[in-house]
Amino acid sequence: MTSPTVYKVSMTERAMQEATFLILTALADGSQHGYGIIAEVQEISGGRVRLRAGTLYTALDRLRADGLIEMDREEIVEGRLRRYYRLTPEGTGRLAAEAARLQANATAALTRLKPSAVVT
Amino acid sequence: MLACYPKAFRRESEDEILAVLLATAGEGQRRVGLAESADLIRGAVRMHFGMSRSPRPVRNAVRLMCFGAVLTLAVLVTVLVTLGGVRWGAAHDLNAGQWPTVILTQVGPWLASALVCAGVWLWLAWANGRGYHWARPAFVAFFALLTTVLFFGLGEFTGANALPYTLPDVIAATVLWLVAVVAALLIFSETANPYYQQEPAQQ
Repeated sequence: MTSPTVYKVSMTERAMQEATFLILTALADGSQHGYGIIAEVQEISGGRVRLRAGTLYTALDRLRADGLIEMDREEIVEGRLRRYYRLTPEGTGRLAAEAARLQANATAALTRLKPSAVVT
Repeated sequence: MLACYPKAFRRESEDEILAVLLATAGEGQRRVGLAESADLIRGAVRMHFGMSRSPRPVRNAVRLMCFGAVLTLAVLVTVLVTLGGVRWGAAHDLNAGQWPTVILTQVGPWLASALVCAGVWLWLAWANGRGYHWARPAFVAFFALLTTVLFFGLGEFTGANALPYTLPDVIAATVLWLVAVVAALLIFSETANPYYQQEPAQQ
């Protein structure tokens, strides 16, 4: 399945949604299956974000169409299908760019705050 | 619940989603919870309207078209609610015997066409969300028809021999037309163009 270039261009120009960012982050250190992604996202967000199945698979469908993730492999575990997803090189680049953007924003915010106002 | 999803998506992901639902289910849980159900339905609607794959302008146009459907139904309700006002306004032109004729020949067909119009809004939202080649020309044709009908209606509103539509009717009709204008601009935007040039299989 090919993905339209125009979307990629428009995506790089826009801030990534948090759920998308967290899903890509969950896949950053290796492939994961659906439930694994949900668990990882919950852990990464400190329990704040709990993806539901409908949201997850809509996001995965979109990310696959955009060429940011791809299927890695399939397994049958206890009679149930497990499909593993991994980042594509483009997905890795996109995640790195978004992480850098967020870090730059956070750094700018922290340097402008008075030290006393920063809660540690 | 998964039956709500498009067939192609279900064929590819149904087992996987079921596995995730089972994995996330609580101890002894036998049915999908309310929040999970709502999320699945929301996901299915997004899939049907191509909201997960279409570019942003098309997604926004689809939202506007859905809003157009809702607004059309709201106009329909408005007309029903203000029918008394219309009758009162027309009282000086119509005698008691003429009112049922007006209902049958003008108001009734208008209400029926408003229902059809709401359906067409939704159909066009679906087709544009999927990026079908014919979706944009179809929307243009609908827009032309809508414009003609609305301006004809507004002409009647200001004409000497017209049924006196109430101000809310006119405001709603104008908003509806503006929604159609913005949706048309969005689906013909530069970012949206390539989406309509893909093969259906890619959408």
